[in-house]
Amino acid sequence: MSRSILSAALVLAAMVWAGTVAAAYRAIRQFETTPGFAANAPASWPARSVVPRSEGEWSLVMLVHPHCSCSRASVQELAAILDETPSSVRPTVLVFRPGDAQAGWEQTEVYRSASRLPHARVLIDTDGREAERFGGFTSGQTLLYDDRGSLRFAGGVTSLRGHAGANRGRRDVIDIASSRSGQGSHPVFGCAISTPKERTMK
Amino acid sequence: MSVLVEDPKIVARATELHDVQMQRRRAYVDRMFAALLVVQYLAGIAAAFAVSPFAWAGKERVLHMHVWVAVLAGAGITLLPVLLALFRPGTALTRHVIAASQMLSSALLIHLSGGRIETHFHIFGSLAFLAFYLDWKVLVTATIVVAADHFARGIYWPESVYGVTNPEWWRFLEHAGWVAFEDVFLVWACIFSNRELHSAAVRQAEVEHLSEQEQLKSAALEMAMAELRTSPA
Repeated sequence: MSRSILSAALVLAAMVWAGTVAAAYRAIRQFETTPGFAANAPASWPARSVVPRSEGEWSLVMLVHPHCSCSRASVQELAAILDETPSSVRPTVLVFRPGDAQAGWEQTEVYRSASRLPHARVLIDTDGREAERFGGFTSGQTLLYDDRGSLRFAGGVTSLRGHAGANRGRRDVIDIASSRSGQGSHPVFGCAISTPKERTMK
Repeated sequence: MSVLVEDPKIVARATELHDVQMQRRRAYVDRMFAALLVVQYLAGIAAAFAVSPFAWAGKERVLHMHVWVAVLAGAGITLLPVLLALFRPGTALTRHVIAASQMLSSALLIHLSGGRIETHFHIFGSLAFLAFYLDWKVLVTATIVVAADHFARGIYWPESVYGVTNPEWWRFLEHAGWVAFEDVFLVWACIFSNRELHSAAVRQAEVEHLSEQEQLKSAALEMAMAELRTSPA
């Protein structure tokens, strides 16, 4: 290889090197900081929901897509929330499953982590019908209803896609459930269970 | 220092021997890093596939952004240092680019693991490996890159490097401090080993010089003996 061609190749590689680093930082940051569709959650507990709700008990519902790797962090955060909230808060994890999926499709690490949560009910949400009743679109969507069935919190409990750790969503849920007062919301980060467009087309 | 080392011919020969040895060593380390960078590139892709292969939308799936980043950003980071190691081995530019790229590979792996604190050990292992160059300035380059990455991400995107949302502003100094802690010993090891190698080069130059002197003496003696044998009694 001639000297000039080699020098040109090295200069080109240097430009690719610098450009790649800058582009990668930008792309990853954009991906991880862009939230999913926020829930259009009903202000009162949806009457058609099959999730049992007892009078006098607060209910916490999390929608998850079992194959969403980011939702491992959401379930991890839910575990942290349950550690700090009164035992009178009843958690339910609704695991999305397409009706035509093969048996065991939902048996992932996200599902198994949810099954290990203390006091939590894990229910299969076939074709996302429950997600639709709760107005949720994004895996990790968390909804907190008080003992009278009024919505107190709607949002995510992670700071970014797939990042566990202290964040305002988690703090809000804990504070509202512990003090039994206030309302809150937070962006939700995760894979889509459905989109507003798909819902409209149904 | 022995009297012989003051001989400029020995000093020059010792420097020459030392330079050749360092050049050979550094070219060899360049090739080792080229292999390591390629292995890390493949490991990054494997890790992305293992941890988060797909992003989902209902029952549809697409390759996860982390896989694209591991493939494309990993290739971009790896390309230049590998080319330099192959075509410009042993140069200062090559080892400084390798040091920066190795730290960027650490940053990528830390990101792909979601800021797992355990992945930060990759930085410390890499610094120890960079010390094989016996050039302490390479460690400075690596430290600046890792500190800059932690500082920038700590401000704009702390979760990706520390795994938490709101670290203290000085957290990057804590991480950089541990890197500096390792650097102190590695820099000392580089300087010490360099001196040792230089001493060995001086000893070799002295031996060569003495051997040369011996050969000259033997030749002179041979000549004198031959003259004695041929001279009339």
